[in-house]
Amino acid sequence: MHHRIIRSCSLGLLLTGVIACSEQEPPEPEISFEESLQQQLIQAQPGDVIQIPSGTHELTRGLSLNVNGVTIRGEGMDTSIISFANQAQGAEGLLVSADDFVIEDLAIEDTVGDALKINESTNVTIRNVRAEWTGGPLTTNGAYGIYPVQSSNILIDGAVAIGASDAGIYVGQSTQIVVRNSRAEYNVAGIEIENSTFADVHDNLTTNNTGGILVFDLPNLPVQGGRNTRVFNNRIINNNTSNFAPEGNIVGEVPAGTGMMVLANDSIEVFDNEFTDNDSANVMILSYFITERAFEDPDYDPFPESIYIHDNLFNAGGTNPDSAPLQALLEATGEDIPDIVWDGTMVPGRDVGDILCLTDNADASFVNLDADNGFATPNFDSTAHNCSLPRLSAISLNIGAE
Amino acid sequence: MLQNAGLFLILAVLVGCEQSPPVFHASESPLRLSAWNLFDLSADSLNPAPQTQVFRPANQLFSDYAQKLRTLWIPNGTQASLVNDEIDYPVGTVISKTFYYHTDESGALIMSPESIDRSIALDNNRLLETRLLVRRNEGWKAFPYVWNEDQTEAFLRVAGSSQSLSLKSDIGNLDFVYFVPNENQCAGCHVTNHPDGELHPLGAIASQLTANIDYPAGNGTSQIDDLIARGWLNYSPEQATPVSWRDESAALEDRALAYLDMNCGHCHNPEGTADTSNLILDGNHGQLFSMGLCKPPVAAGGGTGKLRYGIVPGQPQQSILLYRMQSIAPDEMMPELGRSLPHSEGIDLVNQWIAQLPGSCE
Repeated sequence: MHHRIIRSCSLGLLLTGVIACSEQEPPEPEISFEESLQQQLIQAQPGDVIQIPSGTHELTRGLSLNVNGVTIRGEGMDTSIISFANQAQGAEGLLVSADDFVIEDLAIEDTVGDALKINESTNVTIRNVRAEWTGGPLTTNGAYGIYPVQSSNILIDGAVAIGASDAGIYVGQSTQIVVRNSRAEYNVAGIEIENSTFADVHDNLTTNNTGGILVFDLPNLPVQGGRNTRVFNNRIINNNTSNFAPEGNIVGEVPAGTGMMVLANDSIEVFDNEFTDNDSANVMILSYFITERAFEDPDYDPFPESIYIHDNLFNAGGTNPDSAPLQALLEATGEDIPDIVWDGTMVPGRDVGDILCLTDNADASFVNLDADNGFATPNFDSTAHNCSLPRLSAISLNIGAE
Repeated sequence: MLQNAGLFLILAVLVGCEQSPPVFHASESPLRLSAWNLFDLSADSLNPAPQTQVFRPANQLFSDYAQKLRTLWIPNGTQASLVNDEIDYPVGTVISKTFYYHTDESGALIMSPESIDRSIALDNNRLLETRLLVRRNEGWKAFPYVWNEDQTEAFLRVAGSSQSLSLKSDIGNLDFVYFVPNENQCAGCHVTNHPDGELHPLGAIASQLTANIDYPAGNGTSQIDDLIARGWLNYSPEQATPVSWRDESAALEDRALAYLDMNCGHCHNPEGTADTSNLILDGNHGQLFSMGLCKPPVAAGGGTGKLRYGIVPGQPQQSILLYRMQSIAPDEMMPELGRSLPHSEGIDLVNQWIAQLPGSCE
């Protein structure tokens, strides 16, 4: 009896205690689609596939992923659309820092900054992804559409990039890169490979950009020595959109009407491409000095070397150059700017044949601008460049998707 | 038997309703902040548990003028050690930072100078969020908890949250969206070495804790001594106290560099996420070019503000660094995370510093 009293007393107290505590329990907050998507990206495990359903999903904050081995998959680049038209936070649409990453079959639209940035990642597959600013080429658009940087083993396949105020597809400070079967339109730079090594850029269409394909090596970056890029089987057509990059960016110095530009990069092979109607020049090979930008970097090589351009098809172009030296040249000669333009700068004593070789480009025209001497004596004779260079090896990526 | 079990339960419940010591959750993070027992919400104020140490780093990150209350807790029976003269916290350590604003009689948020509170009275403050940095077996983990409207509980929001705020100030009401970072965004600052991908504390580190809590004011003891007094650390690191950017008696350049280090250096360091730009702002490397002096931008996009160089000596208004500190556009502003408003005091300081730099970029 005595025992029972104590026991029921204790039960009573226990209940009181529980009630007192639970009365203070406030309700849980509700989670939006946007929050739930970001939560999935944070809580993902390697091997997970995160589905983006069809429809247009309006997000306000940039997304990010830091988990290795994750796939983000939509139902198609025209059906699964992540729109950042109302973005209020984040310098990117999607920021990824994760190895073994796959993104496919979706679109990222109208981000305030870069659409898809991938930083320090290994084994990256970007397939059938569209990055677009839907208002057309505007200075207020974000800088880069598809933007892997300091990464390796990168496949960009079947991508579409439209409207970037810097580069539509931009691979920077990276190695082992394939960009293929993609389309870049109405960007300042269509496709740009910068301070990178071992890239294949092939079977792409670049049209209506300011410059179609750029291969750059810039000073004062932690990763330098850009080299070994093959550019082949691309169609580089009518890249004549006025340069709309925000001032201060180096890409803002690319003349409208540039088909392809190699700036200070070494060991570049350009073949089997079609160049048509790029109104400044179809191809330009330039040293960093052309930018007239100062640099303090003793390790930097500002000259392009071992550039091999062969078996390309050149149609019209160079009819309306957007560059003072090229305009002066056109006025002086009364002729269109030649298909292949070299600024003529190199380390003194080097053999011209180590710098630039041109073979089997049908009847492509050529000029050496003599930039070292203030463009005084342009030389249209390509005889000195009638040479060949070792072919570069194909890139084979170590990723399952290849 | 039953009787004993009942009594035990009663005690457990009673203790749970009052205040138990803080709890280390070693794997799953509870949905409710209260489950960590870091605070007691009685008497209309948020009081850190007595087992925790309130601290304040020598320099503080700007966060839209929010006030911050920081606590550190190391479980009983464990101790931090010094590794390479840096504090290595034991598994179980929980660091918290609660963000709040002072309020007036009507409940409106008011901008006020930094106040160094040991607890937060709820009748003249509004709690926004409490961020936890928890040292688990696998490393530091970050968890953002967001306070509810009633100020009775904060809930884990893995993906962060946002709310529109209006802050009364001398120059009128500042309307802005206050963002609570998601867990990845926490990593955006706390992963200071990008290749290793590990989170690290930014405030509760040796150099920052050598200051007294009111630094640069007051002359109390080093906060390291507080840790030693609690038995959490055996001896002091041999680190100099950083110059406080608030310390008007210190040299202008030292103050500016201290400000840039605290607000930018977690990304802009040689191993940080922002090393892609080669703009290095983590302090005393002495390379002005790497700090942006006459340095062209790399991938700044609209963030150039149509300017050519990071810093143009003598010309703050021609300097991208200052432009990005002043901007509130998401793709231009720096830091990218952690603020929606420009920090006038920081901008003034960096402005003054650039204005007196000699030379030119031409």
